[in-house]
Amino acid sequence: MVDVSRQGVEITLTVNGRKHRAQVEPRLLLADFLRRRLGLTGTHLGCEQGVCGSCTVVVNGETVRSCLLFAAQMDGYEVETIEGLSDDPDLLHPVQQAFWDHHGLQCGFCTPGMVLTARAFLEENPEPSTPEIREALAGNICRCTGYMFIVNAVKAAAETMARKVPDGKSS
Amino acid sequence: MNHRKQPKLLGARVRRVEDPRFLMGKARYIEDIELPGVIDAAFVRSPFAHAEILSVDLSEALAAPGVIAALHGQDLLGRVKPTVCDAISDGWQSSEFPALAIDRVRYAGEAVAVIAADNRYVAEDGAALVDVDYRPLTPLASAEAALEPTAPLLHEGWKDNHFYRDRLAGGDPDHAFSIAHGILEFEVATHRHGGIPMEGRGCIASYDPIERVLTLWSATQIPHLIRSELAICLGLHENRVRVIAPDVGGGFGPKSHLNPEEVAVCLLAMDTRRPVRWIEDRREHMLACFHSREHYHKAKVAYAEDGRVLALSAEVTVDCGAYSVYPWTAALDPGMSLFIMPGPYRIRNFRCETSAVATNKCPYGAYRGVARSANCLTIERAMDAVADALGMDPVEVRLRNLIRSEEFPYTSVSGFVYDNASLIESLKQVCAEADYPGMRERQRIARGEGRLQGIGVVTFIEQTAPAVDEGAPINFRYDSAIVRLDPSGCATVQLGTHSHGQGHETTIAQIVADQLTIPMDRIRILYGDTQQTAQGIGTFASRTAVLAGGAAHNASGQVKDMLLERGAHLMEAAVEDVELVGGRVTVRGSGTRGLSLAGVARATYYHPELFPFGWSPLLEAAGTFDSGHGTYSNASQIVLVEVDPETGAVKILEYHIVEDCGRMINPTIVEGQIHGGVAQGIGGALYEELIYNDEGQLMTTSFMDYLIPGPTELPDFRVSHLETPSPTGPTGVKGVGEGGAVAPYAILAAAVQDAIRPIGNVFVNELPLTPERVLRFIDQAANGHG
Repeated sequence: MVDVSRQGVEITLTVNGRKHRAQVEPRLLLADFLRRRLGLTGTHLGCEQGVCGSCTVVVNGETVRSCLLFAAQMDGYEVETIEGLSDDPDLLHPVQQAFWDHHGLQCGFCTPGMVLTARAFLEENPEPSTPEIREALAGNICRCTGYMFIVNAVKAAAETMARKVPDGKSS
Repeated sequence: MNHRKQPKLLGARVRRVEDPRFLMGKARYIEDIELPGVIDAAFVRSPFAHAEILSVDLSEALAAPGVIAALHGQDLLGRVKPTVCDAISDGWQSSEFPALAIDRVRYAGEAVAVIAADNRYVAEDGAALVDVDYRPLTPLASAEAALEPTAPLLHEGWKDNHFYRDRLAGGDPDHAFSIAHGILEFEVATHRHGGIPMEGRGCIASYDPIERVLTLWSATQIPHLIRSELAICLGLHENRVRVIAPDVGGGFGPKSHLNPEEVAVCLLAMDTRRPVRWIEDRREHMLACFHSREHYHKAKVAYAEDGRVLALSAEVTVDCGAYSVYPWTAALDPGMSLFIMPGPYRIRNFRCETSAVATNKCPYGAYRGVARSANCLTIERAMDAVADALGMDPVEVRLRNLIRSEEFPYTSVSGFVYDNASLIESLKQVCAEADYPGMRERQRIARGEGRLQGIGVVTFIEQTAPAVDEGAPINFRYDSAIVRLDPSGCATVQLGTHSHGQGHETTIAQIVADQLTIPMDRIRILYGDTQQTAQGIGTFASRTAVLAGGAAHNASGQVKDMLLERGAHLMEAAVEDVELVGGRVTVRGSGTRGLSLAGVARATYYHPELFPFGWSPLLEAAGTFDSGHGTYSNASQIVLVEVDPETGAVKILEYHIVEDCGRMINPTIVEGQIHGGVAQGIGGALYEELIYNDEGQLMTTSFMDYLIPGPTELPDFRVSHLETPSPTGPTGVKGVGEGGAVAPYAILAAAVQDAIRPIGNVFVNELPLTPERVLRFIDQAANGHG
């Protein structure tokens, strides 16, 4: 038997600045909605248990684990994924640029979650110490790098971002 | 006028060219590939470690809405051959590993049936409706239980529960023990853990019944080896099997196997004529992605009064779980131990007995630094024990035993030929970098304040890009590259290996750029598609920079020769008189600008009339590189830790590394590999353990109870380099992917033991050093049971 019904909850949400309306099964995870329905595959699933941080996205300005949320909960919310940061390799966000410059990634699987977590952290704490950076990233597991170059990248990104005046232009 | 010469890129800290797609969320991992009409598979897994399968009823699952197909083990009979991966050894017992268990399950988590459905949610619902009737059998949850005389035999026709037994001896150990100043005996255990990449396993199979071509996309390190075994299992011609490894989210060894699930998914795709996708979840990964590292060693060491180790005798037992896995066999770790146990030391009398025991646990596979971490632990614990017995400094005892630079090439007592290394130099350098005497002084002061600080020191040598000329079903001592220059003068390089974090799109391009003297942005590195590349082996065993790098060097060297020959002809010069400089073929010393590489390429492809009739119009070459006996990297490390006597927690205060991996292609990438390797080694030494209970049930199936080190657990690593160029290859490069992971077990065991010393003497011999174990060692020390 083939079930082609799309019954479910109707939601309206904004993803990376674009408004979407969708019918979603109540049990559909936000991560699967972003990946399968919107094709935003930069959000990765590393554990589906809310521990590893690979599926981190930003919902109404807060970093969250998209493997622990249902799409149906997102009605009226604004979601940002890694694809929202830059669509031009020559115009990367300072955090992305710093990860590139400081070898802050290897296999790249945890990278979108790391970058989004680091960006949110630097917005709250623009002049962090090394232990503060390590603490801020403690909910994101990287299996490749041993973290040191990630920490260096976040430090460098903080310096780049500090050189920019609040309206976003370089001082 | 001389054209500007491009600086050498071998050795340059070039930023990785592959990074933007990862940073922007645009990489394509297995789960990101979307094929039209794809359906999802979910597996039914055994809840028992050991049981007979009485019946499997798929009818309810097949009747569920959205379920499209289902298979169980009996459906495979006559259609799919089980994997048989045998070591070539008198002490080997053969066994079969079916894609789905047929009449018996041998580990909790073994795949019993598979459901394909509209999507993964529905497939998992369907899997829950499969009714399997089991008759539980006695679970053999440890090597000890499996070797009891009354234990049931795990495989048909076996005499006992050994996959493999072997031995090796060299010199005259009995004599050495008889004349020794002292003899020490000890045991060590490194419990089960694994590579655990952040991306789990997964695959998509698609079958074209008209062309009779099966395509498997798989998160694998070894696409060619998968293709060969899939063709055998499914009875297909190998030229009609295509394996594609897309971006892979971490390998570390666990993704260097043929997974039984992949075979079942291929069969589903052939049956349903739909693409079938399987993406495991983390619980499946912990249960069924092959585990590693479960070694038990007994060692006996004879030493002289001056600290020289005269003889080593060892017994190695590896708990290899239920099945022998393709392509490594269950002899992987125990077989390797026979040869690598003596390590970097001048030990001339040696005896080792080794065995792979079959148990009712997840099968055992490859993990970064196969067998090396446990063997490094044993030989380094031996050095520390000798130092303690003689009241010597652990650095001094190593200096007296290490092979000296002038002794290379050195044939070890086990028959390995070490090409060259900088063992004593690396130890002296790491002592200088760490200010070892100063560190001892700081430790003394800390102890005076009641703080338990300890120091560990380790030196190791590591065979990289190894050859296995005897015993293994596949000898992986070479790899391949095709270099093709297009009419615009840009190069496309197709590698037989893969890259899943190691940065080969950058490092191999650096090698080719030097050969062809063109900028890196004119070079594209491709890999991971068996239909597109020459026969290759894959990426594991610290081999790719050496072997694929060597192959790319050789192939681009051939293309360079073609360019010189054609350029010379066009300029009416003798080929001996021309050279390739700055992307141009010029007459040596003529001061002329010569011909651009693109000009020669365009002439070759589009104006064959300019050349003698019969000259090939193709500027491409296939190259290989064969490492022979492999090439040997080495390193020394020093760690300073502090142990909390109340909680048993171990904090790493300083971690110093001096690494020698020959000529470095890209020091930044080398450092990244070392950091990552050490981090995984620290995980195995302090945190990570796959714990089975007596029933053979895995108790650690999530990241809540299997602890992977995070940024707050790991220190800043202080890395410096020595460069002893490899005499084995054309580039002087040695492998570095695994080295970092080798030493942390030994070094942290030593450091924790040293930290506890003010409480009392104890021999730290069991890892990981979880708080519970550390507190037990502290208790033993306090009670004088050391």
